[in-house]
Amino acid sequence: MEFTALFLAVAVVMLAAWRGTRRWALSLFAATFVACVATYLHHATDVLKLSF
Amino acid sequence: MATLTPARAVTLNALALGAVALVLAAAFAAQLVLHELPCPLCLLQRIMFALLAIGPILNIRFGPRPSHYALSLLVAVAGAVVSTRQVLLHIMPGDPGYGTALLGYHYYTWALIGFVAAIVLIAVILLFDAQFAPAPAAGGVARMAVWLVIGLVALNVLSTLLECGFAACADNPAVYELLKRGP
Repeated sequence: MEFTALFLAVAVVMLAAWRGTRRWALSLFAATFVACVATYLHHATDVLKLSF
Repeated sequence: MATLTPARAVTLNALALGAVALVLAAAFAAQLVLHELPCPLCLLQRIMFALLAIGPILNIRFGPRPSHYALSLLVAVAGAVVSTRQVLLHIMPGDPGYGTALLGYHYYTWALIGFVAAIVLIAVILLFDAQFAPAPAAGGVARMAVWLVIGLVALNVLSTLLECGFAACADNPAVYELLKRGP
């Protein structure tokens, strides 16, 4: 679900960059980028299921 | 040193959007043709590729600026970190890796190569100061490249919704959650 939301957020940032103001696009980009990094850190702390 | 005019820089950015569209389309093609659903880290790498397109879109719309390239650099570094983690997950000898290899490398290895290449290319483009002047309005090809990338991201929204449904995505997804028939 979180990945669907992230893809949707990226689509909104793209539309803002193409149609909206620059300030609005940069703000949305920052929020989406932070959300992506947070999602990565959440998954990076999962226990690794190593194959050996 | 050759001159990179604002108009040429906009064309280069349109080409960059084409490259991002190619990566997203190739990932989609592998998903549909090989029936291999992307794992959570694979999805995050696709998202990073899509975010990589924001800098070029801003460059085409508002003209080339160092800050727009900086956005892409930030995303490329983050994308390289994500793909490196997945490469390391499968680094042990004998590990088959996740998914089918394409030309000898898995998607996440190609992603790492792509993100590192993006970092190098953006750094090279930043060497040309002449591009940072008022740019002419974007042409039809550039506008088409923007809408192509936006369309591919919209398709990814749909595909990820079908794959994960309204819960957390499975670590090793085998079926589309929303297309699964009830017991």
